[in-house]
Amino acid sequence: MTTILAIATEEWRLWLRSRVAILALLIVSTIIAATSLLNAQRMAEERDQRMHQQTVTEQTFLEQPDRHPHRMVHYGHYVFRTPPPLSLVDPGVDFVTGQSIFLEGHRQNTPMFADVRASANLGSFQLISPAFVYQVLVPLLLIALGHSVFVRERESRTLAPLLAQGVSGSSLYSGKFLALATLAFTLLLPLLILAVITTFMGEQCVLVASLTLVYAAYLLVWCALIALTSAISPSRGLALGVLVFIWLMWALILPRLAVASAGATVSVPGKLETDFQMYADIRALGDGHNASDPAFARLRANLLAQYDADTVDDLPVNFRGVVAQTSEAELTTLMNEYADRRMHAEQSQSLHIDRFGWLSPAIAISTGSRHLAGTDLANHHRFLREAEEVRFDFVQGLNQSHVEVLSYADDINRNQSAEASQRARISAENWEVLNLFEFAPDPSAERASRSAGSLAQLGLWLVMLLAVGKLASARIRP
Amino acid sequence: MEAALAANSITVKRSGQTVLNDVSFQVAAGDVYALLGGNGAGKSTTLLTFLGFLSPDTGTVEVLGDDVGANLKDVRLKIAYLPEAATLYPHLNAYENISYFLSLAKATADQGAIDAALDRVSLKEGARSNRLDTYSKGMRQKVAIALALLRDAPVLLLDEPTSGLDPVAIDEFNALVRSLAEEKRTVLMVTHDVYGACQIADRIGLLKDGELVGAFDRPQSGQIDTEQVHAAFAGRSGS
Repeated sequence: MTTILAIATEEWRLWLRSRVAILALLIVSTIIAATSLLNAQRMAEERDQRMHQQTVTEQTFLEQPDRHPHRMVHYGHYVFRTPPPLSLVDPGVDFVTGQSIFLEGHRQNTPMFADVRASANLGSFQLISPAFVYQVLVPLLLIALGHSVFVRERESRTLAPLLAQGVSGSSLYSGKFLALATLAFTLLLPLLILAVITTFMGEQCVLVASLTLVYAAYLLVWCALIALTSAISPSRGLALGVLVFIWLMWALILPRLAVASAGATVSVPGKLETDFQMYADIRALGDGHNASDPAFARLRANLLAQYDADTVDDLPVNFRGVVAQTSEAELTTLMNEYADRRMHAEQSQSLHIDRFGWLSPAIAISTGSRHLAGTDLANHHRFLREAEEVRFDFVQGLNQSHVEVLSYADDINRNQSAEASQRARISAENWEVLNLFEFAPDPSAERASRSAGSLAQLGLWLVMLLAVGKLASARIRP
Repeated sequence: MEAALAANSITVKRSGQTVLNDVSFQVAAGDVYALLGGNGAGKSTTLLTFLGFLSPDTGTVEVLGDDVGANLKDVRLKIAYLPEAATLYPHLNAYENISYFLSLAKATADQGAIDAALDRVSLKEGARSNRLDTYSKGMRQKVAIALALLRDAPVLLLDEPTSGLDPVAIDEFNALVRSLAEEKRTVLMVTHDVYGACQIADRIGLLKDGELVGAFDRPQSGQIDTEQVHAAFAGRSGS
């Protein structure tokens, strides 16, 4: 062990004297600081904005004057998803999914993006997150610093004197790996600081620790690969070429291949195509605004029979309200079926991409990082489901008022005169149907368990590379 | 006297080519043995075989009675190796280089001991704290020799130790090797410097195209006769 430590210490002395390690740390720290500050600014702005808008929209909804209940159904309401603290590190799917939804009757609207100003302020750093820096740029930096870690000894002919001191090839590999690993941990410090900051924003320590652990495992995989490649390469140029090729494959090409493969394997119909089909199915259910629609004939007959009435005018409930309520329930079931199918397909695609983590540690870390940060697809889908529950509840709450509070006679005559229109309004007290929406990220246990697969993939890569490195280096000759 | 180094009918092939062919020789403990030969004769290969960097296809090599193949780690701790280019770390000074390589060999030496070794190889005191990339080849060679001395290894393997040195440095080096022999350290050096070898070696082996074509002992009267060596290389037999 002392030999391994001595070799690692010597490598550090070289890095420090040539100032490359300091330069690397400065580069990483600067990029992380810049991206973190900008992300923090974005998050704080979006968080404040969303919380403010959530309050404003709820208040505005509740402050609406007496109206016809169905006008309130279409007046609608907004819900916002506040980003979890760890999205400071990894914004995940937030970059490509919306974070606010306009909720209204008869529709499941697509989430919208955050305020444009918030993004524009970030300039070109908008797309560079700390996660991206560690997943893509830091490995490149490690390659630049470490590709010669072993092969340098061969090229400068110090390998023979080293081995002649009784140092085994595998000890030399271990020492070089240890040097690279400690360099990687040093480069990980800005991330650690950032992760600790998120605990003051409410993030749970176990998630922060897990996130740091998976990033450490990921960088260790690179260290093991770099040390191995450097150990078996006859020249620095070849070692650098091989490592850059692997970096290109792992970090850039395989992720895109994974997406293409997921698209080819699990087909997800386009939104336009799905919407056409869904609206055709919805039309078949009948128009909920039109109580005379033949689609509601059976409902009418059942109600008349239930209340032993001859006409809908004799019903103790507002038939138009019942139609709206029934129609909303039916089309929501239908829309949920479409949404579930789409989410299931998206989840299948996501799982398909996750499996590519066995081929590329960059995919494994990307997946694990998103799961732990609470910015993965599953989290987004839960937001959509919870938003839909809010939508359905408030729409049906208003429809219930339509059924019970507003009489059928006033309802159908609402356009006869100004007085009739006034009579077709119900009290604003009925708007108290809104459940306050507060989206919380998944619990830590769930996020941690979802990331277990990625950690297993990274663990396997690490063990495999270290084992091959030890075996290959044991046969090293000058 | 027991042999400190022994090559027993070794044949070494590299990339299908026979580099050493049935080579046998022994070096007695405390002797200086010079292996002479031209480029490609197999001199460095012989050293690499004693270091365990190459395994003989047939035959065995022994260091102080230990089979190199069977006890590689132990054997390397008994050997101090001086490579041809005296390759040490250019970003370190003499003290740092020596301390580092000693630590790898699980040996230690304080500043005083290192200075004593550097004094012995006549490395200027003012240069010792400078990085090796400011040293001449001869100065680097001296640091490497000081390291070999501090290893306190009973066996020294020297690969072209005087190559590139100026005449004064060569004389200093030769004197140092003789003093090591007087301390009962065994030295195996490979060189193509016939005259230098004849001055300091107790015995000279002649390698030609991977075969040991002759070997001469130092006569009681003094140095080995260089004419005898030349004659052996020309094809006439040695003793």
